[in-house]
Amino acid sequence: MIKIFIDEQQVEVEEGMTVLKAAERAGIHIPHLCYHPAFPPEGSCRMCLVEIEGFPKLELACSTVVKEDMKISIKSARVVEARKAVLEFLLAEHPLDCPICDKAGDCKLQDYYDEYGLFESKFSETKEKREKKLKIGKTLILDQERCILCTRCVRFLKEVTKTQELGVFHRGIDAEVNIYEGAAVLNNYTGNLAQICPVGAITDEDFRFKTRSWFLKEGESICPLCSRGCNILIEYHPGFPRFEVPRRAYRIKARENPEVNGFWVCDRGKYGYSYLEEGRADKIILNKIEGKDVLTWENISEYLGEKIKRVSSAKKTSGIALVLHTWLSNEELFLIHKIFRKGLKVKKIFFADLPQGEADEYLLTSETSPNRRGAQEIGFDIKAVNLDALAKGTDFLLAFGPFLSGLFSLKALKEVLSKVKRKVLISSYLNEVNSLFDIVIPAALIAEKEGSLTNVDGVIQSFKPALEPPGESLPEWKVLADLGKELGTDSKLFEDLNSPGAILGEMGKEIPFFKKK
Amino acid sequence: MIKALGYFIEIIRGILITTRHFVVNLFFHILKVLGIKTKRKGAVTIQYPEQKKEVASRHRSLHRLMTRKDGKPRCVACMLCVTVCPSECIYVEAAEDPDLEIQKYPAKFIIDLGRCCFCGFCVEACPEDAIRMDTGNVDFAEYSQQDLIYDLDKLIG
Repeated sequence: MIKIFIDEQQVEVEEGMTVLKAAERAGIHIPHLCYHPAFPPEGSCRMCLVEIEGFPKLELACSTVVKEDMKISIKSARVVEARKAVLEFLLAEHPLDCPICDKAGDCKLQDYYDEYGLFESKFSETKEKREKKLKIGKTLILDQERCILCTRCVRFLKEVTKTQELGVFHRGIDAEVNIYEGAAVLNNYTGNLAQICPVGAITDEDFRFKTRSWFLKEGESICPLCSRGCNILIEYHPGFPRFEVPRRAYRIKARENPEVNGFWVCDRGKYGYSYLEEGRADKIILNKIEGKDVLTWENISEYLGEKIKRVSSAKKTSGIALVLHTWLSNEELFLIHKIFRKGLKVKKIFFADLPQGEADEYLLTSETSPNRRGAQEIGFDIKAVNLDALAKGTDFLLAFGPFLSGLFSLKALKEVLSKVKRKVLISSYLNEVNSLFDIVIPAALIAEKEGSLTNVDGVIQSFKPALEPPGESLPEWKVLADLGKELGTDSKLFEDLNSPGAILGEMGKEIPFFKKK
Repeated sequence: MIKALGYFIEIIRGILITTRHFVVNLFFHILKVLGIKTKRKGAVTIQYPEQKKEVASRHRSLHRLMTRKDGKPRCVACMLCVTVCPSECIYVEAAEDPDLEIQKYPAKFIIDLGRCCFCGFCVEACPEDAIRMDTGNVDFAEYSQQDLIYDLDKLIG
């Protein structure tokens, strides 16, 4: 560790760090456009100029390495003057189409102009005309006029995906980012380009003109679409108050986590967010129940408990069958493990998950569900659903998830499920199989609940709700914790299991894998 | 009883004031008819629905959306008016225009005049001078709230 002074504030930093990184670590922001922590410094935007005592010229903060007792000033008159000049040159060729630019609101150029600029342009020349709407990839649109040639996109494709579809062509005022002739940006990580572009040069057709970025709220979550468990930000519109537009997710952004996904997210995670809203169940569906007319969240565990007790006392536990899936969090799987496997000694536990998909060599895994590893670590034997074994001698079926309809035809399911006396489904979606069950309980998705997931490499990641669950939906762990209390299995354990955090604590005591490191 | 008497006194005072104004104004109008010039003039009102006063040039009246030369709305659906509106009465939905010089235009532009407080912030915020409140139209009362919701056609027309 060495000490440096940033604007007379003493900061302890590691040796070999750049000035910009050291300042960032101390919580001081040095304006920059081309620098991105994932790549080596490029130094093409010149926004990060700082004054260092003993250096005759202003130095680039992104590429100057700190030295013992270095005195850096980032707000001196000389630095601010230089920053203004750099901004003026960048804006000399930048069109003023912020009103129609999707980046407006989280554009760094806008922010810096607001902070340092606010000048009238001295350039009387007309701006160069370039391509305004160049389709460069699956959903990407390049506006060459807005580009400030920071080359973040070029470096991303060179260093992360190693596909090198974009390059900087020509020189001087003619320099432009473009695709090579006959080629397009076609890899599985193109969505990140729109996110790392500091201005609105690369925008996403998926998000284009749908809303403005300042209307969106963001919530932190974990992508459930493969077993990597990339950290994401879900940007959503909470719903326009007057014209009653419902809550809607507009885009997914990658969230930094060096342990799992770095700074990136794959295109499946980026564009596959329609599962958050499409076909969601938001009310308890009662197809066939006896005794009670109204089932609410308060008495549903009571009802389930009563039915399970009746079956387990009459027929032992061979009358109970479970269909699970691995979109359930560690905590929920653990509660199921405690109640049904340990408590009731249920043998018929099956897993209904979507079939494996395609993997790539980087983030995307072939698993299409996020918590298979967690289920394995808890000790579940992950068996695919066998309809005959499922229905044989079963009086009570508790199924989770909407995936049964994808795996079997409705006819086959109907035939088998008609033999089962009582069937309850806990699912987040309105689905054709819902009609086959007595009760369908709406559940929250991973983005709407609290818990933890174990990714393919065994990293346990906790998550908090990013969105409000729709309607009557509640997280499964709540139902299961109540059910555990109702059934009286291991009453000492279930007494104070009121949060996923507490459940994870209990898990750590029992299963060494889940112990906090 | 004494309280009720107080009311009567006030009513009579009111009648006297109205009568005084009537008589005084009548007096000055008669003098004008007779051609006698006085410093004070009799009060004048206008026959409102038939006759209308011109509103001041900075008066904020019913909104209108400006159009380009070819009749397309000037609005680019940047939604700054939606953002700034304190009564949340504007709703805009953007769409893609094939013209590269325009790119973005409003597919829907709705103002709920029943909610509007005529602050004029939308006019101030607009970067394209696409919305103005200079129609001079102040009598757009309707019998149902639904009729006060103005869409793109009504605002341009």
